[in-house]
Amino acid sequence: MIKWRRWNNILHRDFGYAVAALTLVYAISGIAVNHTADWNPNYQQRKEAISVEPVKGATTAEMKQFVMKQLNLMDEPKSVFRPDPGTIQLFYPGRTYTIDVLSGKGIIEQIHQRHVLYEFNQLHLNAPKRAWTWFADIYAASLILVAITGLFVLKGKNGITGRGAWLTILGVLIPTGFWIWFQYL
Amino acid sequence: MRTSLVVFAMLFIVGAALAGGPKTYGKPITVKEFTKISDILAKPEAYNGKRLLVEGNIVDVCSERGCWIKIGSDKEFQSLTFKVDDGVIVFPLTAKGKKAQGEGVLSVKTYSKEQLIESGKKHAEKEKKEFDPASIKGPKTVILLKGEGAVID
Repeated sequence: MIKWRRWNNILHRDFGYAVAALTLVYAISGIAVNHTADWNPNYQQRKEAISVEPVKGATTAEMKQFVMKQLNLMDEPKSVFRPDPGTIQLFYPGRTYTIDVLSGKGIIEQIHQRHVLYEFNQLHLNAPKRAWTWFADIYAASLILVAITGLFVLKGKNGITGRGAWLTILGVLIPTGFWIWFQYL
Repeated sequence: MRTSLVVFAMLFIVGAALAGGPKTYGKPITVKEFTKISDILAKPEAYNGKRLLVEGNIVDVCSERGCWIKIGSDKEFQSLTFKVDDGVIVFPLTAKGKKAQGEGVLSVKTYSKEQLIESGKKHAEKEKKEFDPASIKGPKTVILLKGEGAVID
């Protein structure tokens, strides 16, 4: 009697355990990055209107000092930029002040990294590169193994020759049908 | 349990690696001499197609995909867009205000009014936003440093 199904199930079980955590990471990140049109999956951005007196100063350095005094900012900004003669920007870690020089009106843009989800997305989108590329390839190969061995875990009416066949065909038809509709109809 | 611990340890290591210190994005920098952004913007055609290294403070970051940064010039009211291929390099939004060095090939392209209107319509359709063709006044020259590698402090 061939014992291939026993080995198949052992492989499916053990590789399944090993890839479970990372599959959750990829799946959660997958949902998050699918909806980038609606939200930023990595950062929370908050914009708030602010107002100071019309900015005084002959030079950028003087204008910076004026804005800092007006906004009660004690720390020196990381950098200062003037995109055009009518605007001054002060950059601090995680926040940017953009002020209209003539009116004194402006905005503070605050950026907060989304904890956990940011790390999930970095791994999912292979931001670290280098060794993670290899690890992700091994993970993908393991998923292929889990998928293929999964087809043959059961025998009988619920196996690949019975109910399993219909569900597997359904799994093939949904993406195929969608692609035909998307591409040609 | 052990698998979960390994994964969370990796997340911690990645998180730690992503935090603090100068960070390299993409390929290592190979060009030795810096070119001033003000020089590039003064005579863009002279640098078109050339591999250049620039430096300056990051004044803006693509908030959707992190696929470009704007590097402030050594002269006021100027910046240069450092564009990378989507997904190849992803710049963090938190890079705003930090000092950057970027290497890439300069691209100078002039688009006609008709091309800009066509492109604007397509973009608006894709983003489901309104587009007013009257907002395009004439041809536009786009100067980009097609980025391959960058170091951010």
